[in-house]
Amino acid sequence: MRRATRTEARCRRAAAGFLLPFLALFLLCFLAPIGYAVYQSLLKPKRSGPLGLGGTTHEVWAGLGNYTHALGDPRFLEGFGRVLLFGAVQIPVMIVLAAGLALLLDAASARWVGFFRTAFFLPYGVPGVIASILWGFLYVPGLSPLVEVAHSAGWQVDFLARDTVLWSIANIVTWQFTGYNMLVLIAQLKAVPGELYEAARIDGAHAGQIAWHIKLPLIRPALVLATVFSIIGTLQLFAEPMVLRPLAATIDSGYTPNLHAYNEAFTSNNQHVAAAEAVLLALVACVLSFGFLRLVGRGRDGK
Amino acid sequence: MSPYGVGRRAVLGSAAGTAAALALGGCGSGSGSGEEGSARPPDRKKGERITLTFWSWVPGIDGPVDLWNRTHPEVRVDVEKVSAVGGAQYAKMHAAIKAGNPPDLGQIEYATVPSFLLDNGLLDLAAYGARRHKEKFVGWEWAQSVFGESVYAIPQDSGPMGLFLRHDLLDKWGIEPPATWDAYEEAAKAVRKRGAYLETFSATNGNRFAGLAWQAGARWFRVDGERWTIDIDDDATRRVADFWGGLVARKLIRTIPDRQNAWYKDIQTGQLVSWLGASWGDVLLAGNAPKTAGKWRVAPMPQWRKGDAAYANWGGSTTAVFAATRHPKDALDFAVWLNSDPASIKLLIKGGYGFPSAKRGYSTADLEARRDFFGGQHYTDVFQRAAKGVDTSWQWGPATDTLYQRLGDAFTEALADGGSFRSVLKKVRDQTVGDLRDKGLKAEAG
Amino acid sequence: MTGPPLRHRIATTSLLAVAAVYFLVPVYWLVVSATKSTGDLFGSFGFWFADPHPVTYLRQMLTYDGGVYVTWFANSLLYAGVGAVAATLLAAAAGYALAKFVFPGRESVFNLILAGVLIPGTALALPLYLLFSEMGLANTHWAVLLPSMVSPFGVYLCRIYAAAAVPDSLLEAARLDGAGEARIFTVLGLRLMTPALITVFLFQFVHIWNNFFLPLVMLADADLYPIQLGLTSWQGYADRQPELYQYTVGGAFLSVLPLMVLMGVGQRYWRTGLTEGSVKA
Repeated sequence: MRRATRTEARCRRAAAGFLLPFLALFLLCFLAPIGYAVYQSLLKPKRSGPLGLGGTTHEVWAGLGNYTHALGDPRFLEGFGRVLLFGAVQIPVMIVLAAGLALLLDAASARWVGFFRTAFFLPYGVPGVIASILWGFLYVPGLSPLVEVAHSAGWQVDFLARDTVLWSIANIVTWQFTGYNMLVLIAQLKAVPGELYEAARIDGAHAGQIAWHIKLPLIRPALVLATVFSIIGTLQLFAEPMVLRPLAATIDSGYTPNLHAYNEAFTSNNQHVAAAEAVLLALVACVLSFGFLRLVGRGRDGK
Repeated sequence: MSPYGVGRRAVLGSAAGTAAALALGGCGSGSGSGEEGSARPPDRKKGERITLTFWSWVPGIDGPVDLWNRTHPEVRVDVEKVSAVGGAQYAKMHAAIKAGNPPDLGQIEYATVPSFLLDNGLLDLAAYGARRHKEKFVGWEWAQSVFGESVYAIPQDSGPMGLFLRHDLLDKWGIEPPATWDAYEEAAKAVRKRGAYLETFSATNGNRFAGLAWQAGARWFRVDGERWTIDIDDDATRRVADFWGGLVARKLIRTIPDRQNAWYKDIQTGQLVSWLGASWGDVLLAGNAPKTAGKWRVAPMPQWRKGDAAYANWGGSTTAVFAATRHPKDALDFAVWLNSDPASIKLLIKGGYGFPSAKRGYSTADLEARRDFFGGQHYTDVFQRAAKGVDTSWQWGPATDTLYQRLGDAFTEALADGGSFRSVLKKVRDQTVGDLRDKGLKAEAG
Repeated sequence: MTGPPLRHRIATTSLLAVAAVYFLVPVYWLVVSATKSTGDLFGSFGFWFADPHPVTYLRQMLTYDGGVYVTWFANSLLYAGVGAVAATLLAAAAGYALAKFVFPGRESVFNLILAGVLIPGTALALPLYLLFSEMGLANTHWAVLLPSMVSPFGVYLCRIYAAAAVPDSLLEAARLDGAGEARIFTVLGLRLMTPALITVFLFQFVHIWNNFFLPLVMLADADLYPIQLGLTSWQGYADRQPELYQYTVGGAFLSVLPLMVLMGVGQRYWRTGLTEGSVKA
C-alpha cells in the first residue's frame, strides 16, 4: 500500500516534469493570447486634448461594443461568407483530387510512382507567400504566359477579375496542399494489408471496385483528418489575398476575416476591434471543426 | 501647454494599466525614455559615441547617411530599410511604438504624420530648438508637421504633380498635351481610337485621388479646437469623381492598378501612353521602362479652367523623431542636416528622391539626372512651377491610411458593381467620421 | 500474376502525367524566370529563357544591400531549425508523459492540447503580438522562436506513437534497475520514438519555414526577417528599384531549394509518421 502510493507520487512528479516545459509554452503562446484577446476586445480608447490629438488617452470598458462593431461591419461579414464559400468548394475539390491521385498512384505500375509522388508533393515545399508571388506572375494579364497561351487559342481569361479571383486563390491553395493530403492518404493505404486486395481480386473485383469499396472506406479517418486541417487552413486564409491584393483591384482590405483583422490592427491601429475579430475567428474555427467531426462521427455510428 | 507637457507621463501610465508599465520598464531602463515630460534625457557627453536607428524605405537614402557617418564619427546612423508594400512601413512603426522599441528616426509621409500623434509616437522637436530651422524649408511643407506650437517632423521632399507623356506616340497621332481636363478627355478618346489607353484609374491609389481633389480646391480635413470636420463629399471632389467616373464608364481609360506588374508592361509596350504622376516618378519610369528612353516628356497637370495654375502634391515625406529616442538633440541635428545640407541634398537627388523641401542648396539642373530619358527636356521646370502652385492650405487628418483603404475598397466596389464614383465619396466620408470617432476623437461630416 | 491491362496502365499514367504538369508548371516558370533580368521578366515570354545569366543574377541578389538575403536565409534556418528541434523535444516529453503515466486530469490536459490544434494560428498571432509587446519580446528573435516551439499536433503524434512503440514492460525493467525517469526517457523513450520524432521535426520545420503571419506581425527590424518576409519587402519597393523584381524571383527560387531537398530525402519519414498519426485519428 505504502509502496503503491510512493510509486504513484513518483509517477505524478515525473509526468509533471515531462509535461511542464510544453505546458508552460502552451500557456504562453496559446492560452494567454486567447485570454488577452478577450480582455482587449472588451475595452476601447478615449481621448481628449488640443486638436483631439496627443492629449490624454485612456482605455475604458466597452462591453461587447467591439463585437457589435465587428459584426456590424459588412466587409467583415462578407469576408466570412467568402471564406465559407471558398471552403465549401475548394476543400471537396482538393480532397477528391488528393484521393484520386492517391488511388491512381496506389494502382499504377511501380516505375514512375516515385517521380509522380515527388512531383505532386513538391508544391507543399513552396511557402504560401512565394506561391502567391509566383502565381501572381502567372495570373496578371499582359504578363502571364498562361493568359498569352489561352489568348492565342482564342480563349479570353482574366484570372484576377471579380468573379474569378477567389477561385484563382483557391487554385493556389489547391496547388500547394493537394500533394500533402495525397501523401497522408497514401500513407494510410500502405497500412492496409495486401491480402485484403488479393482476396477481393480473386473474388473477381476489378481495380475500380477495389478502390471504391475497399480502399476508400479504409482511408476514411485520413480523409476526415485532412478535411479538418483544411477547414482550419481556409479560415486562416491571409497570405494569398495579401500578396495578390496590389495586383488585383478586386481584392479589398477585408477580403478574408483574417486580412480584415490584420488591417484593423495595423493599418487603422484599432487593436481592440482587431482583438474582437480574432476572438470571433477562433470561435468560428472551433465550431466548424468540432461540428464537422461530430457530423462524420454520427455518420459512422449510423452505419 | 504642449500636448507633450507634463501630461505625457500620465498618458502613458494610464494607457494600458500595469501591463504597459511592464513594457516601459523593459525599454526605459537605459535613460528614462518615455519620460520626456518630466525629465529630459541628458545630452550626449562630449566624445561619447552613440548610434541612431533610422527607418526608411527610400532606396537612395544610404548615400547621404554614409556621408553623415564619415563626417560625424560620434553619432552613427544605421539605416534599416523597412518594407513599404501597402503601407506596411507605418504598420511596423505603430507596432514598434506599441512594442516600446521604435527606432530613433523614421521616414514618414506628410499625410501620415498626424496618425502618429494619436499614439503619442513622435517627439515634439520644438522643445529642442527645431523652430529656428523653419526658414530653411518651403513654408507649406514645414507647416504640414506643425500642430499648435509643436513641430513633429522635418520636411524632406514633396511630390508636385505633373503629366508624364509618351511624346513620340502622341506626336505621331497628332495629339497635343492636354492643357485642360476637357482636352484631357478628348485626348483619351483619340488615344483609344489608336488602340491604346491614355491612363488607368487605379482604384487603390487613394494618394493620387487625394492629389486630384486637392488640385480642384478640396479640403478634406479641417480642425477647429478639438473637433475635426471631414469634407470629402464636397463640390470640388465631386467634380473630380464625376470626371474620372465618366472616363471609366465610357471605357476611355483602363482600371488596372498603377505601378504594378501589368502596368510596367503596359508603359513599356505603349499600351499606356501617359501617367499622372509626381516629380519622383522620373526614376520610376526610367528604371522600369528602360526600352522607352528618350520618348517621354513631362507636361503640366491639366487645369479645370483654361489659364489657371492650380497644382497638387502627391507624396513627399518628412524625417520624424520618435518619442522614445534617447538622443533627441542628435536625432534632430541629423534630421535637419539630412534635409538641408547641400551635400546631402545632392546625394538624395542622386538617389532619386522627390522635390527638395529645402529652399536653398541645389539648383534645378541637379534634379535632372534623367534628362536623357525625357529627350533632353528641362522637365524640372514643370515641377517647380507646379510646386509653387500647390494650394498650401491643405491639411491631413489623423487616419489617412485608413482613409486610403476606405477609398480603395469603395472604388474597387464601384468598379465591380458599376456604381457611381460620387456615391463613393459620401460613403467614405461617413466611414471616416466613424473611424475618427472610434479612435475617441470628435468628428463630424462637413 | 499479370498486371492490369495495358490500356488501363496507359490511362492511369496519362492522368498522372496531366496532374504532374499542373504541379510542375509553376516550378518550371520559377526556374526559367530566375535566369532573367527585370526587363526580360516583364518583356519576354514567361515559359522560355531570354538571355539567361543565372550565376550573375544570383550573385547580384546574394550581395545586394550588404548580403541581406543571406541574413534572411540564416534567420529562416535558425527559426525553422531551432524551433523545430525544440518543438520536437517538448512534444516528445509531453506525448511520452501522456502515454506512459497515469495521473488525474490526464485526459483533460490532452483534450486541451487537442483544442490547440483546432485554433487557427493566425487567430493567435494578433493577441500574441499584443502580449509579447507588453512583455518587451516583440521584434526580437524570441517573438518568432517561442511560438514556433509549441506543436500541439506533435504532442498528439508522440502520444499515439509512444503508446504503441514504447512497451511498459521495458520501462518497468529499467525502473527496477534503478534508472531515474529522466534517464529512462532520454535513453529508452527517445530512441524508440525516433521515427515519430523525425516526422514531427519535418512537419514543424516546414510549418515554421512557411509561416508568414507570425513574423509579419512580430518583426519590424529587417535583420530579423525570415526569407518570406524579406522577399515581400523587396517586392514592396521594387517600383523605385526595378532590379528588385529580378532579385525577388531569384530569391524565391533559392529559398525553395532547401525544402525541396528535405521533401525528397525525407519522404520515407513523412509516410511513417503520417501513418501513425492518421490511422488512429
